[in-house]
Amino acid sequence: MASHTSKAFLSLGRLNIAGLGLNNSASRVTYAAALSTNSPKGDKGFPQRNGRGPVRKPRREPGEPRTEKMPLDQDWTAVYPAAAPFRPSSVPLPVRMGYPVKGGVPPEKKGNLELIKIPNFLHLTPAAIKKHCEALKPFCTEWPSALDSDAKCDELFPIKVESTDFVSAGQSVRNPSARIVHLKVKLSSFNLDKHAQRKMLKLVGERYNKDTDTLTIRADSCPLRQQNQDYAMYLLTVLYHESWKTEAWEDEKTVADMEEYSWEDSPSQKNMLNVLVRMKVAGEGKGEVREQLLGIKEVQEYKDSVTRLKNEGESESTMLQYKEAVKKVLDL
Amino acid sequence: MRAALDLQFSLSFTVPKNMAASVSFRREFCSLARIFSGFSHLGPRAVFACSAHRKCNIIRSHLPVISSSSFHTGTVFLSAPSLITVTEEPDTLLQRVSLLVKGHDQAVLDSYEFFTTMAAKELGININKVYEPPKDMERLTVLKSVHIFKKHRVQYEMRTHYRCIELSHLTGSTAQVFLEYVQRNLPEGLAMEVTKTAMEKVPDHILEPMWKENPAEDGPNDVLLLDMLPLNFPSKAVGGDLQSL
Repeated sequence: MASHTSKAFLSLGRLNIAGLGLNNSASRVTYAAALSTNSPKGDKGFPQRNGRGPVRKPRREPGEPRTEKMPLDQDWTAVYPAAAPFRPSSVPLPVRMGYPVKGGVPPEKKGNLELIKIPNFLHLTPAAIKKHCEALKPFCTEWPSALDSDAKCDELFPIKVESTDFVSAGQSVRNPSARIVHLKVKLSSFNLDKHAQRKMLKLVGERYNKDTDTLTIRADSCPLRQQNQDYAMYLLTVLYHESWKTEAWEDEKTVADMEEYSWEDSPSQKNMLNVLVRMKVAGEGKGEVREQLLGIKEVQEYKDSVTRLKNEGESESTMLQYKEAVKKVLDL
Repeated sequence: MRAALDLQFSLSFTVPKNMAASVSFRREFCSLARIFSGFSHLGPRAVFACSAHRKCNIIRSHLPVISSSSFHTGTVFLSAPSLITVTEEPDTLLQRVSLLVKGHDQAVLDSYEFFTTMAAKELGININKVYEPPKDMERLTVLKSVHIFKKHRVQYEMRTHYRCIELSHLTGSTAQVFLEYVQRNLPEGLAMEVTKTAMEKVPDHILEPMWKENPAEDGPNDVLLLDMLPLNFPSKAVGGDLQSL
């Protein structure tokens, strides 16, 4: 019973609306008292026949732009609190942008698409940045004042772990290159004896830079960065401990495997001694013992010059030294 | 019934869904500004809580829940006493943080550089250098017409401009704060690569070779090595322990 009456009321209400015509719908749309403008439109059931087509909603006049009402000392951070497209009626600047018409000026800001397309920084004025940073300051920590120079940092914290983060727009936030980790460390910060250092250099090969004494381990085989970091540390540990070990087969090291040139038991020493012995024999007729020859100052100088030449390569000073040494040894 | 508002660092808000008017926007901003001013006098306390060398990691915590009904009336909802948690975990030390920003428009890069350098200065981060690597031009030549006319082509080029900002001597938490702020305000059309160089001490298990107790073992050397090192790789905490050493 109650439902029947309510339906009847509803139907009554609908009929009423139809009877009143456009007035009701108009008042629903416009809150301001704009009923006066509706009367020329006529009834909903009778559209205008002067070729204007279907009846449209009445057009409101745009109000005064906000820029007229802005005081000079306003809080700009309240106008643009967050990133927003350019609103010409909210920005009180006479900005012009675009290609100028022939003999004209760039178009004004009202209805200018170029100004809307370009990202704007109106929400990041210096005042806004200061406000934001004031709010962020409590979450920051201070750098320890004892570590003010790079040298101190390197001395106390020799291991450097480098990783890269990527921020870009796209279908995916992830970037697979973000898993790569470079671990850089100076070998002088480990305690390695001579054999351990040589073995470490041989184990590591290309990854060592002689000029800066840096070992760089690049870890990219695991899918996650934390895993790569752990793996790099593990590799470093293993290299260190392995280089201290002396294996049985290391005794078979040949002259070709040696990193540095050493003059003892080298063809150069044999040749020099042969020459000197023959010189002595030819000159004085008595044979000198080889060990005594080795002790002569000129022979020592010759040894230094040859070692230096072989180890450091050819340069002005090394060649000069070699020349002087040869002249002294052979009494030229 | 209550919607949790996760307050991130930048003030680009996640507004509750039933509010869209700019009036409520402004009101929310005012109330949030009040909260942040409440934070500023918590600052010294947080800093003093840290010791000189082992810096504590300050982690940001979420704002407590707000109710949309209280929002309409404009009341402040701050109920939790302090929102900055100081943990005992030692802070990472970053020797260098290098931001490389790429974009197609140089004017936008200029503005962004101004913003980033100013933010770094305000937060007290020392800037090593700011420079502009030379731009990259990717050119391609395509046929002008759909069919035939091989001699007539059109050439396009894509210019990528770069800006590099190098910062030095940051702690992990400062870097997190700064990077999140700067990345959230990255304009559309720019991409960023952040290279961090973290410093670490030499861990305890690399100080002395472990063969000193058992010298020159031949045979199952690899097995011995695997035995002595923990199978879960040493974590980043200083002082990762090895049971056998």
